[in-house]
Amino acid sequence: MINVITNNNIKIRVALAELQNVMDPEIGLNIVELGLIYQMDFDETERRIFCAMTLTTQFCPMGESITDAVKETLKSIFPNWDATIELTFDPPWSHEMISAEGRKFLNKK
Amino acid sequence: MFATAGNSEPTKTTSYKVVLPFYSYAAFAFLVATILLFLSAGDITKHYFHPHTLAITHIMALGWGTMMILGASHQLVPVLIEGKLYSNILAYVSFTLAAVGIPLLVCGFYAFDMGLHTQCGGILIVLAIITYLINLAVSMVKSRHINVHTFFVLTAALWLLAAATVGLLLLYNFTYLLMPKSSLNYLPLHAHIGIVGWFLLLVMGVGSRLIPMFLISKYNNIRQLWWIYGLINGGLLAFVFIFLYSDSKLLLSIPLLAVATGIAFFVNFCSKAYQLRIRKKVDDQMKVSLLSVLMMLLPVIFLVIIVILMILSPKENIYLIITYGFIVFFGWITAIILSMTFKTLPFIVWNKVYHHLAGKGKTPNPKDLFSNTVFKWMSVVYILGFVLFTAGILLHSTISLQFASALLLLTALLYNWNVIKLLVHKPYL
Repeated sequence: MINVITNNNIKIRVALAELQNVMDPEIGLNIVELGLIYQMDFDETERRIFCAMTLTTQFCPMGESITDAVKETLKSIFPNWDATIELTFDPPWSHEMISAEGRKFLNKK
Repeated sequence: MFATAGNSEPTKTTSYKVVLPFYSYAAFAFLVATILLFLSAGDITKHYFHPHTLAITHIMALGWGTMMILGASHQLVPVLIEGKLYSNILAYVSFTLAAVGIPLLVCGFYAFDMGLHTQCGGILIVLAIITYLINLAVSMVKSRHINVHTFFVLTAALWLLAAATVGLLLLYNFTYLLMPKSSLNYLPLHAHIGIVGWFLLLVMGVGSRLIPMFLISKYNNIRQLWWIYGLINGGLLAFVFIFLYSDSKLLLSIPLLAVATGIAFFVNFCSKAYQLRIRKKVDDQMKVSLLSVLMMLLPVIFLVIIVILMILSPKENIYLIITYGFIVFFGWITAIILSMTFKTLPFIVWNKVYHHLAGKGKTPNPKDLFSNTVFKWMSVVYILGFVLFTAGILLHSTISLQFASALLLLTALLYNWNVIKLLVHKPYL
């Protein structure tokens, strides 16, 4: 997983913990362990959350649902904050971005 | 560290409204084909040009195989080219033309009436393919990501147009004698352009992307895929040339060797993708898909035997040729569709029904929208029916053919049950 850039560690930890409920339905693994979250920032003055993420493949049929779920999850834990989700495919996702926990899950037969 | 495109919205995939009619039509066509097979089981071994065999073959090739692949490719091509489908309207037009054309053509074959309505059916199918090809080509030109997979898909669509055009010419040849020989003589040309050029090339192009993707495999070998592309296309072009300009049966071994090597490379590609997978648990749908890849080797074995016998004796072995056709259409083509339907359709339906609830509450998993138990039974019944029918043709056993056709009909019923369950799914919430 790419290291998430942090400017507010507690909020980010809470957000990432909640985002572990957002699953990639095909793989059955959550998007955090899958390494789809690239960057997360909290702007305390503007009360804005910025999340840069990717998908396992561009034009993934479930892509819109996954990004919507990320946005809704962030809005539910930070109700008075404005969440912006930005999709990027640079760098494109690869299996190397899966976390050690994620690999352990996928290794189960 | 990351290049963000300044885009908060993911790029939209093809609408379910475009794709679902193709899936529904194909599922129904499969059911019709197996009903006809059950009713005509005894006729199958008579000759491959028997009206009922012709009708069943074309329902399987066009109504089942082609309609399903056209539908899936409208959904999957954007994934392959990383760009949007050019036009939904062209997709609807393509569906409508094919949906009307296929029954007209098949009814004509069943009654062995090659008259006006059958010809109209053929023309509508060619127009449907041209419409699809335009949509595909413009989508690819507009996309910035041209890769080996897109070459496979576009070339396959061009071969499909060639197969359909040759088929239309053969149809007119019944009435107007456009060609130097009878239509029966050109049947291998028409069939192999369709089977190798369209089905094989397309399944390889899409499969080489999807199989490693679903397995989360570390394996990728673009060079090997280009070799496969060259061998299949080179082999098919050589076959067309030899068929049209040479009487030598021995020369046919050249395209056969090229295509067989291409298939062996593809089996090797999938095998390595499987071995180097990160996701160890393989679901039932992937197991059947991987089985279908292995099943690609069966027609090659039969073709080798057919070509050797043709070289040794001028008399063709009807039973072997019919078996070869059966194991192509009811074999790997059917197996891959039976499995891949349930790797794609549940996600399309889930998006249709639950997309607006994403992140707002608990929603079922796409895999829960169909019955995996029914899928398992369908797979077992299908394999039994397939093996028994193949044995029935080779052993000329009518009882075996009748029983096997009943099993294949049951396969179609179970498949349709699961497809309908998906299509009529209503939200739990």
